[in-house]
Amino acid sequence: MNNEQIKLSPEMKKVFWRWYFFGQAGWNYEKMQGLGYYYSIYPLIDNLYGASDEGARVAVSELQFFNTNNSMAPIILGVDGAIQESQGESSKDAVASLKTGMMGPLAGIGDTLFAVIPNTIIGSIASYMALKGNPFALILWIAFGFLRLAVMRSFFFMGYKEGVKLINSLGDRLKKITSAANVLGMTVIGALIPSVITAGFVYQFKNGGVKISIQSLADQIMPGLAPALVVLFTYWLLGRKHMNSTRVTLILILVGILAYNLKVFA
Amino acid sequence: MHIEWWQILLLTLYSGFAIYDGNNTTFGAVKPTMAGFFAGLILGDVQTGLIVGGTLNLLVLGVGNFGGSSMPDYMTGALLGTAFAVMSGKGAEFGATLAVPIGLLMIQLDVLARFCNTFIQHRAETLVSEQHLKRATYMNLMGIIPTSLSRMLPVFLALVFGSQFVQGVVDSLPMWLMNGLKTAGGILPALGIAILLRYLPVQKNMAFLLVGFFLAAFLKVPVIGAAMIGLAMALVAFNFDSPRAQVATGENSVNGDDMEDE
Repeated sequence: MNNEQIKLSPEMKKVFWRWYFFGQAGWNYEKMQGLGYYYSIYPLIDNLYGASDEGARVAVSELQFFNTNNSMAPIILGVDGAIQESQGESSKDAVASLKTGMMGPLAGIGDTLFAVIPNTIIGSIASYMALKGNPFALILWIAFGFLRLAVMRSFFFMGYKEGVKLINSLGDRLKKITSAANVLGMTVIGALIPSVITAGFVYQFKNGGVKISIQSLADQIMPGLAPALVVLFTYWLLGRKHMNSTRVTLILILVGILAYNLKVFA
Repeated sequence: MHIEWWQILLLTLYSGFAIYDGNNTTFGAVKPTMAGFFAGLILGDVQTGLIVGGTLNLLVLGVGNFGGSSMPDYMTGALLGTAFAVMSGKGAEFGATLAVPIGLLMIQLDVLARFCNTFIQHRAETLVSEQHLKRATYMNLMGIIPTSLSRMLPVFLALVFGSQFVQGVVDSLPMWLMNGLKTAGGILPALGIAILLRYLPVQKNMAFLLVGFFLAAFLKVPVIGAAMIGLAMALVAFNFDSPRAQVATGENSVNGDDMEDE
């Protein structure tokens, strides 16, 4: 994909930066990103239609409900811009249904690719290093911010250039990247369990003069047994009906207090 | 320790900026680790900030505010948790455990801010219907005000009035509770991990989870080392998945095909 060959109009350049800096500034429960989307596409509306009745009709349409992953939205803005620049107001309904059609699938891929995976990998490494007193991994977040910007820009170009046909081919490629990234994510999580969860058995058998600590027995079976059990228990809890992360948090706090005072583990 | 006015100011400004950054530019300011680090830097105790932030960050590994759901705001939790840990001198674990209820309470304010923006959306719709297309765009920028204030006000108030209040609470807490909370702080990261496991395709990737656990638990490999092995395996998986590799491996890939389309 050669982005250099495409010339963006000055308005379209503004559209991108407006989304990048303020796409979710006016996020609300009713139209979600609708306000941000309208704010972003406004330079194009102003340029193509001015303050005419046409412009007002397009504006109403662009101010409707919109919600997708905000890193993926530039694809839709690009497609929208390309169609409007060539078709004008007659494309209004087509643009509206394209936006609606694309926002769902792009949200799913984008949330995994730009939220879950970086959260897992960078978040794990940053937390782990921070717990050891090292702030260095925080740079990874900043680096990711720049990487994301670059990707968003190329998405915008791609959307503008390829228009509608792009979504299918892109979907396949992103799916592969996603599944490879999942491999990395799972490995990191596996390593995280014994590294960051602090739980060791404190109970000791006393038989005459012999003391046997449960922890040293557990270590011989499997190091990290207590953290693994805690994760399994939490995983199981989350799968129960009527459970959400807030309730599980409260249960874990209770378990911690009980476990310490009953001398199970600490 | 007494907190200075400029420290309160900087922490308040940070909370407003962080929530803007989290929603838009995404340079990590909203991540608890970053917030804890910043608070530690401002208050002169980076280690405490890092530990409070790192602990809280583990809680939200798998939590994302997708489709507008509100999540516990551990950015604010990390700022205040670090501040109270340093001010009370009770240590990082105390700060981290204190930050959890703060983060949970903040969900309500996040909901309130997003709700306030509904009025701004209505205002924009009215302006557009009156043909004030440009003025309607300013409404989007107005949305920053409720969102940022939803973090800045509680941080400001908590820091101005909270230090004595928090000190009072700390002094009245019994030992069994303090130590119990410490143990709770140790196991709470399991939540972030468990949520991730619920979200990711665990069954398909169980092998990699085991490899990671084995590396860290038995071989004592640090997480970054395990991440390198993970990256290597991810690259292998990616190349194996590509169409060229399927042609090259011929018959063998036929059986593997059902793995790919999920």
